[in-house]
Amino acid sequence: MRVSVKEWVKSGQPWVWLTGGAVALNVIMVAGLLLLIAVRGLGHFWPAAVMDAQYPESDGSVSMIVGEVADVERVPAIQMREAGYVVADGVEFVRRNLIKVGNRDLSGSDFRWVTEAELQQVQYSDLLFVAERREWGNFYGYLRQLKQAGESVGSFEPGQPDQQYDQLWSELQQRIERAEAIQQQINAIEKHQIGTINSRFERLRLQQRRLELEQSLNAAAQADISAERASLDLQYQQLQQQLVELYGQIERDSLVAEVAGGQRVEISLSKVVQAYRPNAMNVLQKTGFYFGQLWSFMSEEPREANTEGGVFPAIFGTVMMVLLMAILVTPFGVIAAVYLREYAKQGPLTRLIRIAVNNLAGVPSIVYGVFGLGFFIYFLGGNIDQLFFPEALPAPTFGTPGLMWASLTLALLTLPVVIVATEEGLSRIPRAIREGSLALGATKAETLWKVVLPMASPAMMTGVILAVARAAGEVAPLMLVGVVKLAPSLPLDGNYPFVHLDQKFMHLGFHIYDVGFQSPNVEAARPLVYATALLLVVVIALLNISAVAIRNRLREKYKALEH
Amino acid sequence: MAFDKDAHTDHISQQFNEELEAIKSHLMTMGGIVETQLNQALDALVDGDEELAQRALKADEHVNDWELEIEEQCTRIIARRQPAAGDLRMIMAISRAVKDLERIGDESSGIAKHAITLVEEGESPRGYNEIRQIGSLIREMVSETLTAFARYDVEMAYKVAKKDRDVDDAYKTAMRSLITYMMEDPRSISRVLNVIWVLRSLERIGDLSRNISQHLIYLVKGVNVSHSTLKEIKQTING
Amino acid sequence: MTTILTPETVTPETIAPDSGTAAKAEKPKARGHSIDISSIRSSQASMDLAQETIALKVRDLNLFYGDKQALNGISMDIPKNRATAFIGPSGCGKSTLLRCFNRMNDLVDFCRIEGQVMLDKEDIYQRGVEVAELRRRIGMVFQKPNPFPKSIYENVAYGLRIQGINKKRLLDDTVEWALRSAALWDEVKDRLHESALGMSGGQQQRLVIARTIAVKPEVLLLDEPASALDPISTLKIEELIHELKKDFTIVIVTHNMQQAARVSDYTAFMYMGDLIEFGGTDDLFTTPQKKQTEDYITGRYG
Repeated sequence: MRVSVKEWVKSGQPWVWLTGGAVALNVIMVAGLLLLIAVRGLGHFWPAAVMDAQYPESDGSVSMIVGEVADVERVPAIQMREAGYVVADGVEFVRRNLIKVGNRDLSGSDFRWVTEAELQQVQYSDLLFVAERREWGNFYGYLRQLKQAGESVGSFEPGQPDQQYDQLWSELQQRIERAEAIQQQINAIEKHQIGTINSRFERLRLQQRRLELEQSLNAAAQADISAERASLDLQYQQLQQQLVELYGQIERDSLVAEVAGGQRVEISLSKVVQAYRPNAMNVLQKTGFYFGQLWSFMSEEPREANTEGGVFPAIFGTVMMVLLMAILVTPFGVIAAVYLREYAKQGPLTRLIRIAVNNLAGVPSIVYGVFGLGFFIYFLGGNIDQLFFPEALPAPTFGTPGLMWASLTLALLTLPVVIVATEEGLSRIPRAIREGSLALGATKAETLWKVVLPMASPAMMTGVILAVARAAGEVAPLMLVGVVKLAPSLPLDGNYPFVHLDQKFMHLGFHIYDVGFQSPNVEAARPLVYATALLLVVVIALLNISAVAIRNRLREKYKALEH
Repeated sequence: MAFDKDAHTDHISQQFNEELEAIKSHLMTMGGIVETQLNQALDALVDGDEELAQRALKADEHVNDWELEIEEQCTRIIARRQPAAGDLRMIMAISRAVKDLERIGDESSGIAKHAITLVEEGESPRGYNEIRQIGSLIREMVSETLTAFARYDVEMAYKVAKKDRDVDDAYKTAMRSLITYMMEDPRSISRVLNVIWVLRSLERIGDLSRNISQHLIYLVKGVNVSHSTLKEIKQTING
Repeated sequence: MTTILTPETVTPETIAPDSGTAAKAEKPKARGHSIDISSIRSSQASMDLAQETIALKVRDLNLFYGDKQALNGISMDIPKNRATAFIGPSGCGKSTLLRCFNRMNDLVDFCRIEGQVMLDKEDIYQRGVEVAELRRRIGMVFQKPNPFPKSIYENVAYGLRIQGINKKRLLDDTVEWALRSAALWDEVKDRLHESALGMSGGQQQRLVIARTIAVKPEVLLLDEPASALDPISTLKIEELIHELKKDFTIVIVTHNMQQAARVSDYTAFMYMGDLIEFGGTDDLFTTPQKKQTEDYITGRYG
C-alpha cells in the first residue's frame, strides 16, 4: 500500500519517530558515557600479563623490555618517518604500544613507546613478578634471592627447577605478610595513638593560651598543665620507642631481583605493598585479585601524590560534605518556602523575592565559592575565631577553608532548588485538607505542622534530591572553601570533638582534577581519573537513590486525594 | 418488577420507610372507619335504629378529615422523596384508594340518611330482604378489599372484582322485583324509591370496592386494570 | 415532617365507636386500631419556626468580596436540633453564608463582613472571639471528602489531639462513639489503624463527619456533603444526617434540591445573595410563597 508523504506527515508518525529518536539518542549518550568511564576505569585493576621481549633501539643496540601493555595506538607511517624512525615501504600505519615498564627508580620513567612489529622474542614467563611498592611505583623483574638481615635465606638462579622458584615465592609472600602486619602496627601508632597525643598536646597548648588571655593563668593551673604535658611526653616517648623497634623489625627482610638487562636490585620488604605473578595466575585467581584491587582502591588512602593507592578519604569527604549540606539546606529552604507560601502576603514584594530566589539558582557556582570565601570564611569565620577561639590565634580555626564552610556554601548554592520544590509541594496540597483541619479548631500553625508539612514532605525530598545531585558534582566553589588534594585526617575520628567541621577535606571531584592535571605521572594516573569519575557517579547515584527511596516511601504514605 | 410485600421497609432511608409505613397504616385506619360506618348504616336501616344512623352520618366528617390528611401525606412524600417504581405505585394507589374510600363513606352516609327517612315513615318496608342480601355481599366486599390491601393479596382482590358481578346481578334482580312492587302498589312508590336509592348506593359501593381492588392490582402487578375484563385481570394476576 | 404514630402507640380510646359486626375477627390487625386524626394534625404544627429553640441568629449579614457584595442583608434563625437546608442556583451565596457561620471566610483575602451572627447570644464576629474555639463549636464538613493522610483512628482523634487531649481511654471511647454515630464503626472497627485514604468516597465522607462530631460541636455545617458521592453513599449520608439531628443542629448546603427536600426540616432558598424564602420544607416544596422559589424548585429557572 502506498502512502504519500503528505499523508504520512499528517498521520503524526514523523513526530513519534522524532521524539523516539531523541530519547534513543539520550539513552545512547548516557550509556556510552558510563560505558567509557567504566571500561577505562575498571580495566585498570585487572592484572595484565607481563611480557619479556627484546627491542632494537635506534642506535642499533638491543635492549630488554619487561612490562605490561598499557595502551595501543595506530600511527600513520609518515609521522613515524618524519620522527626519524625507519618504517618499511608500503606500510601506512604502524601499531605502537605503550609499555608500562615500571622501575622508575632505575630507568627514570614508568612508560615507554615501542613499535609493536619490532618486538622480538616476546615471552610471558611465569617467573616474572610485579611488586607494588610504597615508593617509586611498580617493580617488574625476576626474583633471585631473599635476605634476612643481610644474610641470604634462599635463592634461585636460571636453570634451576621451577619448584625452587615457587618455594622462594611462597617464602617471599610470608615475609611480605609479616612486613605488612608490622606496617599496620606502625600505622596504628602513628595515626591514632600519636595523633591522639598530638591533639591533646594542642588542646593543652590552647588551654594554656586561653588562660593567659583571660589572665587567670596561676601557678596551680600552670602546674596542672605542665604535669599533664609531662605525662603526655612520657607516653609519647614510649610510643616513639615502640616505633623505633618496629621500624627496626620491618627493615629486616629484603629481596633481590633481576630486572630487564640483567641488573640486580635489592628492595626492602618494608617498601613492598604486595607482590604477584600475573602470568602464573589463572582467570579465577585474576578475578579474585581484581576485586581485591578494587576494594583497596575504595578503602585505602592515596599514596604517591594521589597517583596510587585508594580514594577512601575522598569518598568519605564527598559523602560527609553532601550530607552536611543536606542537613543545612533542608530546614533553611523549608522554612523560607513555608513563610513565602503560607504566611507572606502575596504581592509585588513576594514576587520579587521569588524572582530573586530563582535567579540565585542561575548564578555560576564559582561565584558562590568567592562569596563563601569572602563572607563565610573571612568575615564569619574570622569573627568566630575572635570570639570563641582567641587562644589559637594567629592560627585560624574557622577563619580558614573547611568542611563547614564548604557545606554552607553548597547549601546556599542549592537553596533555591529546595525553596522552589517545597513551595511547589505546598501549593499542591488541596485547600480542602487545610480547611478540614482549620474547621476542626486547629490554628494555622497546627494545621501546617500536623497536616500540611507531612504531606509536602515528598516535595521537600524532591528538592533535597536535586540539591544533592547538584552539590555532589560541584568542584569549582569547593576549591575556594575547603577542599584540598590531600587531607591529613578524616573529618570524623576518635579525637575530641569527633566531628571536625573546621578541617579541610578531600573530594572525589577535586581528586579527579588533581590526579588528572596536577599529577607528576600523568600516564600512570589516567586510569585512576576514569575510575574515580566512575566512583563519583556511583556515589552521587547512591545518594540520590537513597533520597528517592525515602521520597517514595513518604509519597506512598501521603498519597492524598490526588485522584 | 413485581411488588414485594416488604419492599417499602428496606430503603436506606429509615425515615422513608417510616413514612411509607405510616401512610399505609393510616389508610387501613381510614378503611376501618369507613367499614364501620357502612356497617352502622346498614344495621341502622335494617333494625330501624335511628341513633345508629346518626352515628354513621357523623362518622363521615371523620372520614373526610382522614382523606385530606392522607392526600396531604401523599403530596408530601411525592414532593420530598420523589418516589419511583413500587414506591410511586404505592403512593398513587393509596391516593386513589383514599378517594374511593371517601366515596364509600359518602354512600354510607347516604344510606344512613335513607335509614332515618325510612324510620320516620315507620312502616314495615318492602325490599329489606334484597337490602340484607346485597348488603351482606357488599360488607364482605369492603372487608375483603381492605384485607387484600393490608396483605397485598391480589387473589383476594380478584375475588372482590368477581363478587362485584354477583352484586350487579343481584341488584338487577332486586330492581326488577321492586319495580314490580311499585306497579302492583303505587302507594308504596315513595318508600320503595328510598329502598332503590339504598340499593343503588350499595351497588356503587360495590363498584368502588372493585376499584380499590384494581388499584391494589396496579400497585402489586404494575398493570392498570381499570378497564379490563375479569378474564384479563385473571391473566394479569397469574402472568 | 410527619411524626410517626405506629398503630401500637394508639390507645383503644381513640378508636371510633364500633357497632361490632361479625366480620371483625377476620380483619387485619392494622385495621383493628384507628388513630385519632387530631394527634397527627397537631404534630404537623411542630414545624413552626416560632416554636423552635434558635441555635444561630443571623441579623443583617452583608458580605463583600472586594467591591462586590455577595450577601445582601441576610436575617434568619437557624433552629436547634433541626436540619436546615440552603438551596439556590450556583453562585447564589449559599456556601458563602454557610462559611460565615464558622468564619471560614476569614481565610479569604479581601472579604469583609457586616452584621451579626449570634451563637448563644454572642456575636461570633465580635472582637476577641477565639476563632479556633468557635470552629470547635461549629464544625464543618466539605464538599469533597478530605480525610488527612493518617490512619482512620488518627483522623477521628485529630480534633481532640489539637485540644491537647491525649488520654488513650478517652480518645478510644470518643473515636468509637464518633464512628458509631457516623454509622461507620462496623465497617472500620477492624482496620482503625490503616490509612484513611484506602476507604471508598462514601466511607471517607462519613469518616470526615465522624471526625467533625468527635469534637462535639453544637452546630454541624455541611457544604454539599454528598455532591462527590454515588447515589447509595448519598442516601447513607442523608440517613446519617437524619440521625445526627437528634444531637446536633445541622445546616446543609446542597445543589440538589431533592436532597434538601429529603433531609431538611427547614429550607432557605437563596438567589443572588438574597434570602428569598425561608420556611418549613414541606411548605416550601408544596406551596412556596414566592414566584422565584416556585420557578427554581420546579425547574423553570436556574
